[in-house]
Amino acid sequence: MVRMFQMPRKAAARAVLSAFVAALLASAPLSGASADDDAWPMLRKAVFGDWQIEDGKDLLFLDAPDQAEDAAIVPITVRIPPEFKEPFKALTLIIDKNPSPVAATFTFGPAAGREGGERRMSTRVRIDMFSHVRAILETEDGKLHMVTRFIKAAGGCSAPVPKESGGTDPDLGKIVIKSFDPAVDAAPLREAQIMIRHPNTNGMQRDPVTQGYFPARFVKEMLVTRGDDLVFRMESGISISSDPNFRFTYANGPENSLDVKVTDTDETVFTAKAGARGS
Amino acid sequence: MLQDFSKLPSIDALTRRHVLGAALALSAAPVLRHVPALAAGTLAVSEVAKGVFVHQGRYELQSPENRGDMANATFVIGRDAVAVIDTLGSAKIGRELRATIRNLTDRPVRYVINTHMHPDHVFGNAAFKDDNPQFVAHHKMARGLAARSDRYLAINKDMLGAEAFEGIEVILPTRSVESTLTLDLGGRTLICEAQRTAHTDNDLIVTDSATDTLILADLLFSVHIPTLDGSLKGWLSLLDDLARRKAARVVPGHGPASMQVPEALVPERRYLSALADDARKLIREGRTLAEAMKIAGQSEKDAWKLFDTYHARNVSTAFAELEWE
Repeated sequence: MVRMFQMPRKAAARAVLSAFVAALLASAPLSGASADDDAWPMLRKAVFGDWQIEDGKDLLFLDAPDQAEDAAIVPITVRIPPEFKEPFKALTLIIDKNPSPVAATFTFGPAAGREGGERRMSTRVRIDMFSHVRAILETEDGKLHMVTRFIKAAGGCSAPVPKESGGTDPDLGKIVIKSFDPAVDAAPLREAQIMIRHPNTNGMQRDPVTQGYFPARFVKEMLVTRGDDLVFRMESGISISSDPNFRFTYANGPENSLDVKVTDTDETVFTAKAGARGS
Repeated sequence: MLQDFSKLPSIDALTRRHVLGAALALSAAPVLRHVPALAAGTLAVSEVAKGVFVHQGRYELQSPENRGDMANATFVIGRDAVAVIDTLGSAKIGRELRATIRNLTDRPVRYVINTHMHPDHVFGNAAFKDDNPQFVAHHKMARGLAARSDRYLAINKDMLGAEAFEGIEVILPTRSVESTLTLDLGGRTLICEAQRTAHTDNDLIVTDSATDTLILADLLFSVHIPTLDGSLKGWLSLLDDLARRKAARVVPGHGPASMQVPEALVPERRYLSALADDARKLIREGRTLAEAMKIAGQSEKDAWKLFDTYHARNVSTAFAELEWE
């Protein structure tokens, strides 16, 4: 397969931005969508251009509930089973029907870990009504592999906004990093969790007092490093739930503390180091 | 409730259900009289204290059949005016609530109080628009409801169906309660008290001075599983305060028309405590949100109606909150 000059990850990052801009311009972004509209062909073109995407069902798994219990925080996990031992370059999560469909793109570095166990990336996303959710993995050879799940939103009272509204959270930008020791010290992979206190507001909710819109403010980038080595870099949009939460495997080494640097759309930077609460 | 014979309850569960039934019998309070739905287009109500009427909603999700009749609605008739506390889940069922009031009194509806933002308590507001009442709510309610309006409308249109959905509109409060507000109905006052974040971030409770009736709304669930859309820690701590309050009777948001405190609060506290204990344990063990949604609080399964509908969502909300401890 001929590799295009354009890097797909950059294209994905641009799609995060352009879809967001489009959502800001749309007057009724959510209500018109139904499960029947197939948004994927257009999305696919916008994010990956002419790249061929292969069926990834033998390579990766996407775990997600069939029905979103709380559409504001739907846990999803991408798993790459131990049989696959190659490094991979990038992982893109797409929610077709969301106003900003590209939820996140992860670009992996040398400390992401490779063989020796199941590699995982979990996060929590907002899902508006009914939507396909896609995980597209770019392997070292430049091929794209996709798995898809269809998720139904539960009826009732959940909403893709924080449970508590109003005021400024004094803990904004607080980062908690947990690193879980593997069952045996020599295990090649270990697991960590990063929690970021951030409303990740999407700029589409009307303020009844001012009649204006609450300004969008969300985490757009996160860098996770172990020592000098990159674990991953993430570019993200408004489909990531408020208080963004990530749980992932990475290479287990003699020194496992993580440095996390988060940048939001206000260009505010929050940093933390493993074990330390806050920054 | 539908019986599922493939999952027969254990002896423990049967015993538990029996015990819970007995607890409910103890905490339910007597009412003065039942007023059945006398005419088509009216609702059955109970007069729980002189001039305080409660319509008991069904333990169901909204559907074309129930037309959003799935929460409790209260009205209080004073010498000069009437106050309605929650308007049920559609304009149609709201109009039936209004017709029921009109059968009992011709005094004007001066206040429509919404105890919080959820559709099953506010979507009947449109039925009272022509009465030109003040719409009263917690100061955070407008913001909460406005932010969720598109979604609430879409979901309810889907679940109620076009016919029952007809006429529903989002009516935001015209008068907001910062901490307390007293409303005069003539010969009796209603004291509205805004609460800190618990069931939602905009719960309001109302006391009728004349009969010492405390409308707890969705801060008290009975039979119907509690639904958590605010803060679990906040709700548990608020329950401590509510348990110390004296009232002749309380009206839950979902449950019997009239109950006694503090007994009525016991099952809800037990459920929320189980949720908190299990979630904290799983967080300590490094388990994931997805795992917790399958495991936490399952000991409560047989104790509540609509458990399968709301429980996993409650776990999700609780877990995401308690992770930050």
